[in-house]
Amino acid sequence: MIGRIWHTYCFEVEKAARRKFTYLGLILVVLAVASALLVRPVARDGESDYAFIAYATPIALNLLGLLLLVTYCSGLVSTELGSGSICLVLVRPVRRHEFLIAKMLLGVTYAATLTVAVTAATWGIALAFGDLTGVVYGGETVFTGADVFVAYLLGALLVMIPQAAVVAYAVMISTLVRSTGAAIGGAVGLLLAVDIIKYPLRISPFIFSTYLETPWRVFTSYCDGLDASWFPDTAYLLLTSIASIVVFMAVAIFSLSRRDLRT
Amino acid sequence: MGNCIQTSHLTKRYGKVLAVDDLTLEVQTGEVMGLLGLNGAGKSTTLYMLAGLVGPTSGDATIFGKELHRHFLSIAPSMGVLVERPAFYDYLTARDNLKLSARLAQRDVTVDRALDRVGLLSAGRKKVGTFSTGMRQRLGLAQALLLEPSLLILDEPTSGLDPEATHDMLALLRQLADEAQVTILVSSHMLHEVGQLCDRVAIIHEGRLISCDRTDALLSYDERRVEVLLDAPESAAKRLAGLPWIESVEIRPGRLDVVLREDNVHQLTAFLVTAGYRLTGVIPRQRTLQDYFLKALNR
Repeated sequence: MIGRIWHTYCFEVEKAARRKFTYLGLILVVLAVASALLVRPVARDGESDYAFIAYATPIALNLLGLLLLVTYCSGLVSTELGSGSICLVLVRPVRRHEFLIAKMLLGVTYAATLTVAVTAATWGIALAFGDLTGVVYGGETVFTGADVFVAYLLGALLVMIPQAAVVAYAVMISTLVRSTGAAIGGAVGLLLAVDIIKYPLRISPFIFSTYLETPWRVFTSYCDGLDASWFPDTAYLLLTSIASIVVFMAVAIFSLSRRDLRT
Repeated sequence: MGNCIQTSHLTKRYGKVLAVDDLTLEVQTGEVMGLLGLNGAGKSTTLYMLAGLVGPTSGDATIFGKELHRHFLSIAPSMGVLVERPAFYDYLTARDNLKLSARLAQRDVTVDRALDRVGLLSAGRKKVGTFSTGMRQRLGLAQALLLEPSLLILDEPTSGLDPEATHDMLALLRQLADEAQVTILVSSHMLHEVGQLCDRVAIIHEGRLISCDRTDALLSYDERRVEVLLDAPESAAKRLAGLPWIESVEIRPGRLDVVLREDNVHQLTAFLVTAGYRLTGVIPRQRTLQDYFLKALNR
């Protein structure tokens, strides 16, 4: 099964590499990072510019990146269902759940690519045009440049988990709706609606999207010269995200297994 | 020769609609079987079930002696499927679509051979988004033939093709069956194409198999139906109409289409000659698939 998922994943990656939208997303997040310079400019003035990175990363990744990720992934299956090209895949020795897992992996790869692009853009701009010499408070170095960078990298790795939940959510919507437009609209709309009502209804601790900011908190605290712990928020992030991935993928697999593929 | 496909009480229900009803069918290895039926008869649903794209509500299907659902992964590489209006990735070239399709099957194949067989070799580097309906249909067949399958499941394979491409496709399919012993299950609305291509014909009506016969037997000459070429068809028709051994007479330009109650052409010929008509020919009529189809549907 792993071999078939791998081959289907490679098939999906090769297809994605030929699509313009894949690159459009990368360009947009880099532009979002660059536009953060208007609010948090960087300069070679001897002061570290971590504030720029701390500002630009959530904007590019958690706001625009999230929108791009949901849009991209909610079209992954619905486009194929709508056009009938799914038949091209499923007449080959590939099970429907393997096809969905490959789609999910493609979405995670896309999320990782966006994260890498944002990381490269934020740190690249700060290094090229500003200073990154550690966090200094009262003349004393509180965190070295390496400490801050490790905190960012750990955050970037950790954010992959709620992003994977976002991918699973969008793929699930994508299997439920045959039209790409409806899938994208539904996925974005529902995500926004849940984000609006989760605080008044006090269900936010159980919703995976609550934890998209969590991985950056330690890094942001370091930037402010404050120490911070990964726990317990990271534990909640892991629990809600993994539970969400399992539920969303189960629904997606159930839905696709029962779907009539006649167009 | 054993069965390549065997369905047993195959049934598909969509809510209250029974698309395929208790279908039991056998297709022998190397045979070309045609599925005929009106729109919505259940032909495509049957093919989709056999291709693993639609799950049956009940019953089962065996392909190459293996239960389809359980052994789909081992059956699929030996099966080529052409669905109605095949869809491809429009932003990829025809070659890349086929290459990726072969990769899914983990097979290293030469896509040029498949493209050449369907006359698309020169268009292989064009994006599929620029293809006409007929080209897409031919690419669909190339995709089905890509892994050199021993079973082809084809839903309306000549849909959208021009007469020349239709002729070439039918010739290719017949050649595959004759020379490579490829088993072909094909659905079509084109009765003459089915008659030309298929060894056997099954008629499905309202989801049920109502008839299944060898094509050569169906298309044999019918001794009771004759075309009579003579000098005065109108007058001859009047004289024949009242005779007890004549079932029906229809006047056509320069001839009569006569249906006899029994195989007694000699009696008809003798009657007309005696009556003074100048006969130029008495030709037994070949049965057509349309006759058979309409008779099976009681039309």
